[in-house]
Amino acid sequence: MVNLTIDGKQVTVSKTATIYEAAKEVGISIPVLCYAKKLMPYGACRFCLVQVEQMKGRLIPACTTPVSEGMVVTTISDEIKKVRKTVMEFLLVNHVLDCPVCDKGGECDLQDLAYELESTSNRFEGEKFDLPTDEVNPLIERNMNRCVLCGRCARVCDEVVGYGSYSFINRGFETKIATAYDRGLSCEFCGQCVSMCPVGAILPRPFKFKARPWQLKEVDSVCGYCGNGCTLTLGVLNNKVETIRFNDKIGVNDGNLCVRGRFGYSYVNHDERLTKPLLRKDGELVEAEWDEALQVVADGLANAQKGQGAGILSGARLTNEELFVLKQFAKTLGTQNLDHSGGECYKGVTEGLKETIGISASTGTFPQIEKANVILAIRSDFYETHPVVGMVVNQAIRRNEAKLLVLADKRGKLSKLPGAKTLLTKPGLELDILNAMARVLLDEGLAQTEGVDGIADLQAALANFSPAQVAERTGVSAEQLQAAARQLAGAKNSAILMAYGLPYQGLNKELATAAANLALLAGIPGREGSGLYLCGEKANSQGAIDLGILPQGNGMGAQAMFTAAAAGQLDALYVVGEDPLSSYPDRDRIAKALDKVPFLVVQDLFLSPTAQQADVVLPATSFAEKDGTFTNAERRIQRVRRGISSPGQARADGAILTALAGKLGSSLAFTGPAAIFAEIGKAVPAYATCSFNEIGPQGVVWGGESLQPASRKVVAVAGGSEVEGDFRLVTGSALYHSGTVSTKAKGPMAVLAEPYVELSREDAKALKVADGDLLKVAGNGVELKLKAKVGNRLPKGVLFAPYHFAEAQVNRLYKGEAVIAVKVSK
Amino acid sequence: MSEAVETTVEEQDIDLTGANQILDKYTDFPGALMPVLQEIQEFYGYIPEPTVHLAAERLNIYTSQIYGVLTFYAQFHLEPRGKYIIRVCMGTACHVKGATRIGDTIKDRLGVGHAETTEDLKFTAEYVACIGACGMAPVIMVNDATYGSLTVQKTDEVIKKYQQMD
Repeated sequence: MVNLTIDGKQVTVSKTATIYEAAKEVGISIPVLCYAKKLMPYGACRFCLVQVEQMKGRLIPACTTPVSEGMVVTTISDEIKKVRKTVMEFLLVNHVLDCPVCDKGGECDLQDLAYELESTSNRFEGEKFDLPTDEVNPLIERNMNRCVLCGRCARVCDEVVGYGSYSFINRGFETKIATAYDRGLSCEFCGQCVSMCPVGAILPRPFKFKARPWQLKEVDSVCGYCGNGCTLTLGVLNNKVETIRFNDKIGVNDGNLCVRGRFGYSYVNHDERLTKPLLRKDGELVEAEWDEALQVVADGLANAQKGQGAGILSGARLTNEELFVLKQFAKTLGTQNLDHSGGECYKGVTEGLKETIGISASTGTFPQIEKANVILAIRSDFYETHPVVGMVVNQAIRRNEAKLLVLADKRGKLSKLPGAKTLLTKPGLELDILNAMARVLLDEGLAQTEGVDGIADLQAALANFSPAQVAERTGVSAEQLQAAARQLAGAKNSAILMAYGLPYQGLNKELATAAANLALLAGIPGREGSGLYLCGEKANSQGAIDLGILPQGNGMGAQAMFTAAAAGQLDALYVVGEDPLSSYPDRDRIAKALDKVPFLVVQDLFLSPTAQQADVVLPATSFAEKDGTFTNAERRIQRVRRGISSPGQARADGAILTALAGKLGSSLAFTGPAAIFAEIGKAVPAYATCSFNEIGPQGVVWGGESLQPASRKVVAVAGGSEVEGDFRLVTGSALYHSGTVSTKAKGPMAVLAEPYVELSREDAKALKVADGDLLKVAGNGVELKLKAKVGNRLPKGVLFAPYHFAEAQVNRLYKGEAVIAVKVSK
Repeated sequence: MSEAVETTVEEQDIDLTGANQILDKYTDFPGALMPVLQEIQEFYGYIPEPTVHLAAERLNIYTSQIYGVLTFYAQFHLEPRGKYIIRVCMGTACHVKGATRIGDTIKDRLGVGHAETTEDLKFTAEYVACIGACGMAPVIMVNDATYGSLTVQKTDEVIKKYQQMD
């Protein structure tokens, strides 16, 4: 710690603090334009100049100067004021001052600062730029005439996002922020630059001329897309979500968002939202009143229970409270057939982790990833599944020099991060590498075996996983995987990351088990600062597991229900917030099951392909229309808050379920999120640590920052099997989408509107296909036509197709495998 | 900002072998950007866009950052340049001795002013501040050869000489 004096106040701060940060600590605010908490100090704007007793003769930038013992700092004096005013004059020489029509008006740092400095006149005159506005894309507008060259956009895009869209170009007065070759913006459109821009140079286009900032009601909620659980502050005007406000004060995301979070809110206001219940009459779905629809559903489900039974399938975007009511409803109905998210993908957590570390959740929290020294990412690219975790990894590397190991069958954004080592394996063989890494730890005496059960069995099972053998099978060199294992075990803090969810079929349990084995041998679970992270695809995937939205007793899981339905052995299916036809593997079988099942109820926001098959469709509400809690992938229970009312007669899932229960003669009631949260606490002890109203802005992490494993047992897993064939297809998540809902949102659709199949340049050349050509992809007896996307991410012979697009029917190709052999032709 | 255009990079017909060979030398060589760009320019005569994308990919540097470097330094040229670079000295001595007239003559005969290139990619004119040969003013350089004490007639002769060369 270092002691210094700022404006007569004594301050004690860490020795890594800057003068600016130290001043902030004691409530002294120094004006800044280029400084941002999440970015490295830069010192571009010169507004933060202060006097330092020990550094006489010149003014010192507070934001880049580290504190030192005994420093005496003056942050405001006549001289400082004069200099700041001059800096403002320089900036205003070429600033356009079109404040009346600038969307930043009212929350513009330059405007506020000019006002504060009373900059009423300018001694200098100069040329103003007349640069055209970049309006090529529908999401981000850039008006470089308003730019103050603080570099925050370029820095955030590099330091946090890792995309690098912008740079300063040219020199001197002509200097400006531009993309490569000064073209229109074409990037991932996360809008981090929008949130960082202190002026109106970079603005969200969908929000243009929608509202003045002070007119907006701000509602802090949680993003409804992925398991990252980012805080979304909804900007609401006239019962409409008009924008997502920048908020770095609360939540886990430090104000960072991806394109889904920042621009994907529009599905909430989509005009295709269901607003009335629909009943199938004479083969057509027609609008009906709630009472009638509920009666038909209640009768249909009750009848089914009298016959071969009903099944309930849920998505993982319901709140914990709704999921709890759903489970109660299943009990009321008397069915044990209950499941969520396809019933397979989460088994890495419910079975893989359960059997090894004895708990079904990640052991660490996201902020700890930034402090990790070594990070191992398995299979999926977190930039695609959980983009904001990807940003945390990037920051860990850039700020704290973390070493990143990527174990995957294709390169992604993570592979491009500085110093990242990619263990590029043949598809489906990640398991073998993890096994080999475990063996390296055991063979070299690096493993922590004390208190870990099953070591001898594991050792025996790893006989065929010597680095040399695995190198031969996977294509990853023995030296590389040995080095990776040693690095992981030798680090002070390590993090192992793996995402799961519907985009990643097959081997979930096996991969999680192998990852847990490795984690246990490296002493990761339960160690402060280290963690094993299994992150769910959806906003409340962890909540669904915590609450046990799983087959009850001898009940059927999702896949079994579809098998039974297809065989005519299930009489009703009640699907809540899920579109199995579009997103579950083996679409043809799902279609058959939906066709065969005598009674199908779908409760959703949109008339999804599954809903189109239903006998009854019930309109539900989005995350922006409800109160409750989501539990993110690091076990953080966070408040979801209602920002707007629901369209038409749409009702919240919890209300629908209790109304249905009423029709069945039950007294199950939706007593409000707080009361139900308390009920959850009684059933799930982890949720009993706090009351609903005690959940603060940072949420509550059940089990604490570092969850202790309930058991430490390594369990042998067989290796993957190599899929033969000229081409092997893997599916997954694309950066811009999450599940199928994002295909109803303008933002993500503006960036990625179409399904595609990605292949390497080498393969493209051999097949003579160019970007955008139609490719025939055939496998598992199904042939699809998909647009080709040529790039450098994939190794030769491997194809990748995102699963989000219902119309592409990619899920006809795969039937639950991790990798499938396909034939490709033009 | 120049005319904002869709960013699909048109595949220019450029043989990237040369650039790849240059990049091969600098694999895992930190701080290689400047020498790589200089060598690419030496090889191609300018820096073609596809080589920038290639360098970005192989050096793992953002294309935008490379573009920032390319536009910062006057030494880099993003457009094809002539085989013969005519540097017209516009320094004080040359100016007094009629450098403007020499520049005008070149513009008249070849149709290229400062930083312009003839369509056949044979000549590029560049007006420079001082080439350090004031005793020979007015002076021009064609690639590495210097021609001093120029008159309009002498300038014509120099131009003709190079026009007759390949």
